[in-house]
Amino acid sequence: MNHVTTVTKPPLNFNQIQSEYAAKSPRQILEFALEKFDNIAISFSGAEDVVLIDMASKITKNFQVFSIDTGRLHSETYRLFEKVRQRYDIELEILFPDAKQVEKLVKEKGLFSFYEDNHKECCGIRKVVPLRRKLGTVDAWVTGQRKDQSPDTRSNIPVIQLDNAFSTEEHKIVKFNPLANWTSEQVWKYIRYFDVPYNQLHEKGFVSIGCEPCTKAVLPNQHEREGRWWWENAAEKECGFHKDNIKN
Amino acid sequence: MNIIMVKKIRSDGNLCRKSAEVSLKLEDLNLSDRINNVVFADEREFNSPGLELARKYQVKAAPFFVVQREESTQVYTKYSRFLKEVLNFQTSEKEEIAEIMAQHPDLDFI
Repeated sequence: MNHVTTVTKPPLNFNQIQSEYAAKSPRQILEFALEKFDNIAISFSGAEDVVLIDMASKITKNFQVFSIDTGRLHSETYRLFEKVRQRYDIELEILFPDAKQVEKLVKEKGLFSFYEDNHKECCGIRKVVPLRRKLGTVDAWVTGQRKDQSPDTRSNIPVIQLDNAFSTEEHKIVKFNPLANWTSEQVWKYIRYFDVPYNQLHEKGFVSIGCEPCTKAVLPNQHEREGRWWWENAAEKECGFHKDNIKN
Repeated sequence: MNIIMVKKIRSDGNLCRKSAEVSLKLEDLNLSDRINNVVFADEREFNSPGLELARKYQVKAAPFFVVQREESTQVYTKYSRFLKEVLNFQTSEKEEIAEIMAQHPDLDFI
């Protein structure tokens, strides 16, 4: 007699959940995600996505958080990692890039190759490889991505999606974006209201925060993305089709 | 088997970066002759053959590959997967990562 009971959760109907949760609050979306998946992790970049950790801490004491230390972050970001770890009493998992890959890149191209060609190679090695390695171990992840962060690349992000970037035939990964429909203003109201710790770079004019060499403060009314990879020509990066051209 | 590669021509008349890169890689690997037809998705021409295929298969970025077999047609939007499954050629992790980033520019800001 087999005494092992296997509980299989039904597959998610993304369209149905997307329409059901599209208008719900970030906290409701996060509650759903944390309830639905046991092996789920929150991605914390050291910027405004800190609100996800605050929300999660009000839902459960049992949640995974990871950050990627690219080796090029601002000292303010490292300090925020530590502050968050202590404030929420969480085990913050810090992921590092593969040392051999970084050594090879630096040996061949130096420490600032991204100013010469573009940032993709460096980001790939320092950020996306460790991210993919981590996502290979979870069933779902949570990001702080918002539509208002980039009109070019984020205007259509849903609150829940099958992660087409990192899913494989054998391992499907679900991605939640609870803050997708929030504005920067709503995020900052939350941060102030709940006294959530934030990156001190925000007090110096930084809005979007990444690695130190590739992030700068922006002026009033400049879009936050103008503070990232400002030396690159956006048009040259464009391989997607214009929406009007692929409408039937 | 008939393999169609769709490349994008930007509104300034130049090939998009990824289409150019993938074309070069196929040449370097001596795999260009495995592609039966190359068609262009010209952003300046709504009815260009490549854009018609993009609309038909709901593809959002270039390059992509349409693989027609006797009983089925499969569309590959990931170059590394196309290389592996259709041309039996394994790509490096570096190439896979570069492709993921090109197809998912929102990852820049993770």
